[in-house]
Amino acid sequence: MATVAYRAPRSHPSKEIRRHTLIYLGLLPFLLIAVFPIFWMLITALKQDPDLYRMDVVPFWFHLPPTWRHFDFLFHNTFYKDWIVNTMSISFWVSAITLLTAVPAGYALARLRLPGAENLGIGIFMTYLVPAIILFIPLARVVSTLDLQDSWWSLVVVYPTFTIPFCTWLLMGFFKTVPVEIEEAAMVDGCGQLGALCRIVLPVSWPGIITSVIFSFTLSMQDFLYSLAFVSISEQKPVPLGVATELIRGDVFFWGSLMAGALLVGVPVAIIYNLFLDKFITGITGAAIR
Amino acid sequence: MAVSGRVGVLSWWRTPTARRYLFGYTLLAPAVLYVLLLVGVPFLFSLYLAMSDASVGAPVARFVGLENFQAALQSTAFYKALGNTLFFTVGAGILKGLLGTTLAFLLLRPFVGRKVVRALVVIPFTLPIAVSVLGWKWMFDSQFSVVNWALSRLWLIGTYGSPDWPVWLGQPNLALMSVMFVNVWRGFPFSAIVLLAGLTSVPPEIVEAAKVDGASFLQRFRLVIVPMIAPILFVGAAFDTVFTLSDLSIVYLLTNGGPDGATEILPTLAYNTGIRAGALGRGAAISLFLFPLLLPAMILLLRTLRRREH
Amino acid sequence: MTRDQSRWTRQPSTAPSTLNRRKFLSVAGAGVAGGSLLTMLDARQAPAQIRGTSLRMLKWSHFVPAYDAWVDKFAKEWGDKNGVKVRVDHIPHLELPARYAAEFAAGGGHDLIHFAGQILTGQYYRHLVDLSDIATGLGRKYGGWMENAKSAGQVGGTWYGVPDFFIAIPLLWRKDLFDSVGRPAPKTWDDLRTAARLLKPKGKPTGMQFSHCNDANHNWRALMYSFGVKETDPSGQSVAIDSKEMREALRFAKAMYDEGMTPEVFSWDDASDNRFLASGVGCWIHDAISAFVTTKDTNPKVFEHTYVLDEAQGPVAKWNVGEPNVWAIWKFSKNIPAAKEFIQHISDNQKHAMTASRGYNMPFLRDQYKKPMPVLGADPKLSALQEQDKITAFFGHPGPMTPAAQEVLTTFIVPDMFTRVARGAAIEDTMKWGVGEIRRIYAKHKAS
Repeated sequence: MATVAYRAPRSHPSKEIRRHTLIYLGLLPFLLIAVFPIFWMLITALKQDPDLYRMDVVPFWFHLPPTWRHFDFLFHNTFYKDWIVNTMSISFWVSAITLLTAVPAGYALARLRLPGAENLGIGIFMTYLVPAIILFIPLARVVSTLDLQDSWWSLVVVYPTFTIPFCTWLLMGFFKTVPVEIEEAAMVDGCGQLGALCRIVLPVSWPGIITSVIFSFTLSMQDFLYSLAFVSISEQKPVPLGVATELIRGDVFFWGSLMAGALLVGVPVAIIYNLFLDKFITGITGAAIR
Repeated sequence: MAVSGRVGVLSWWRTPTARRYLFGYTLLAPAVLYVLLLVGVPFLFSLYLAMSDASVGAPVARFVGLENFQAALQSTAFYKALGNTLFFTVGAGILKGLLGTTLAFLLLRPFVGRKVVRALVVIPFTLPIAVSVLGWKWMFDSQFSVVNWALSRLWLIGTYGSPDWPVWLGQPNLALMSVMFVNVWRGFPFSAIVLLAGLTSVPPEIVEAAKVDGASFLQRFRLVIVPMIAPILFVGAAFDTVFTLSDLSIVYLLTNGGPDGATEILPTLAYNTGIRAGALGRGAAISLFLFPLLLPAMILLLRTLRRREH
Repeated sequence: MTRDQSRWTRQPSTAPSTLNRRKFLSVAGAGVAGGSLLTMLDARQAPAQIRGTSLRMLKWSHFVPAYDAWVDKFAKEWGDKNGVKVRVDHIPHLELPARYAAEFAAGGGHDLIHFAGQILTGQYYRHLVDLSDIATGLGRKYGGWMENAKSAGQVGGTWYGVPDFFIAIPLLWRKDLFDSVGRPAPKTWDDLRTAARLLKPKGKPTGMQFSHCNDANHNWRALMYSFGVKETDPSGQSVAIDSKEMREALRFAKAMYDEGMTPEVFSWDDASDNRFLASGVGCWIHDAISAFVTTKDTNPKVFEHTYVLDEAQGPVAKWNVGEPNVWAIWKFSKNIPAAKEFIQHISDNQKHAMTASRGYNMPFLRDQYKKPMPVLGADPKLSALQEQDKITAFFGHPGPMTPAAQEVLTTFIVPDMFTRVARGAAIEDTMKWGVGEIRRIYAKHKAS
């Protein structure tokens, strides 16, 4: 695996222990910063409400028995199940659209020595400079023309506007790392350029493709404004919008359910992330280094 | 191209170059069209908005030239937002860079529990931002802040109600730091991963060679590693900057720009002016204000990057 | 918060909504003298043309969740009776403007809409259906509209919106704490300031938001107007905030902050003062009665000692600043007849709405202030709120709620002025800054 670039010397156990201690000490503040809020969210999600508003006791643990009520509430009194299904569906279709457009585009920009390719690539990247706060108004027109208002499909149309540019760049870098020779060999063997792309280049590029998919997933989950403007029906909302709009009632925050709602989608994604992290790292490395 | 002049357009179309171009542009077309139609055209519309006196209820409006930009420049609230935006973006960028680099070095070499640690530190990045910000709002609460509780018990701050009890989202400098911190919290795992990717790609032999030559750790880092991972650093930084610049949700949900504009950034000011108050033209101008500055900077950056590759 | 949650379930949990329909009707009748409402409910037959259509409406997520449950059920029952398929969507009030901007750009969305706090009638009136027939009819039927409220629905004398209700933002104060320092029940802003001054050293300060939130906008306006400040002239055309009254109000606020508050008020959002009161720390807050109701659930001991004052008297006047809510219909609505019919129907059932909202929804029509009002009349602590029609003003006062006034509101200039002074900025500098920003906004609106 590429990540294990530095082989630690295995011969000195005492040195190993010292190295580990140093690493753990170094990691401690990071873990604290990264994980404490998560821990706190989890505790909040499991606490009974009166337990939340007590400052006289140690807040890090339970003083009333923990409760599943907030999770229960999410599943029985809100459309949380629908939100999860919507988020998954949106992410799936957004990833699909992104791959279908970004893979060919990235390949063309990387390999085919097209006149104007560089400017096109930069132009695609520049779309990130266009502020979403104004963009959503003309996009509302597009969404309604397609008759997708108040449906999560509207987000499937809109989200690729910010996933395609990133993934095109990522994949462009990645395709550059694939040796030209194997492609040429394939073409000599009778594959056309398209055949070479599908049969030779894609299979060796899957770290880049996985990276793109993971990115599409995470970027789709970070949106708030577009979903707010385009989807107002409870059962069509994605998770972030549903949680942030239906679990706050003006001056009442449903802290427990809010935290539960966030963790239930965030933590599984983190686990999936981690499963693919090595591929992910290879993906980014390929994209940017060579 | 020269061929086409002599033998005619028709036969040029049969050359391998022509076929390659055709193939290439066909592959490019879906992505380019998608982005052009859904961002390019609406973008032109926002440009038009920024130069008109449009409001939400009257989008067909009079052309007013640069009046909206001038109006923004006359407002002290705008300068404050501009200053905060720059401070927020640059400050958060530096912090993410520093924390990310350190974390990447710590995670570079194998140790027991590395995978678990890696999984834990990426969680902030994977939580939906709109919701994790609400978690922070709860942690920054002026009364029930768990952070304050802990600091107070450690005798680092006073008790609730005393002047030494920090009000994270209420004190002018602290409030800006706090929203910046949330951005850093969310972003540093990503910087770490990107840097980890970069560091992994540096051949160990080169580093070892530098070591043998007597280069110190910092020297090795500055003279050997940084130049090698520069492209990835640039791309990562560019993306992060652009995302941070346009990020509305952290500030909007934590403070909505208050108190007295202490945390106002251009996106919140544009949103409150353009959408919530309905002055579309003004809002568009505020949100597009940095565009003329960023565009050349980005183009320059990306060009240099691509030149380096060749 | 488990209790909050039970209030917020999709299944209605308050009294009228859990009753079956027949009983519901009889309760409705009992509530009104002469049973006129009963007649209305049953007798009013919607026109046949709306049968078989569908109606989509958008409302905010009400602060009293039981009210949403009631509205959903109420709308469904009306729909069932008239053969209309009804669907009610709810989103947070702060996000309504963004949604409306999108609906307007799209030329489609909800058939019936609702402005809450942000009154966009002036922004969109060219694209809203003329509702003068309903509004003037309601005015005739129920003793006329509150004069102040008209601008929430009217532009140039035509009704483009029908006012639904407003949220009163009274004072909630702790009698036990006031007693402990020998202070009588508060009547004036001075009384409140004195009490806070005496109670802060005992760890029981007060607080009003100095931040970018709704409550900050309303609370400081209440103080301003009671000090005699005029935001504009009565026509809403010229800015009148540059006055000695405004300087007085700022000076008073600064003193009240120094003597009676802690810096946490700079970070507060709309919910913080609720928790502040419920935690037993605050000696008084200026907030809607949802804070009062929540305390009943979260801290019964505090609730027992908490009393409600309709508003404090200032040196010049006594003004509460309400948050208006208004019905409107897009011209591109696909079902204008049904939408109008529903506005009429729900307006005729104001008493039920008010009951379902636990007394939170204050009426705009004069006759609806006949005592006893639902909920308020039955609760001795809340009964003072039954004359709120006489002391309620709205943003922009004494001018109308124009788009310019709206922009001043949403850009938080007034709370920022108070914040600056409280933090020690000179009053003249602050006036120069604030008045300048406000004038710029009005100048722009005049030009376009």
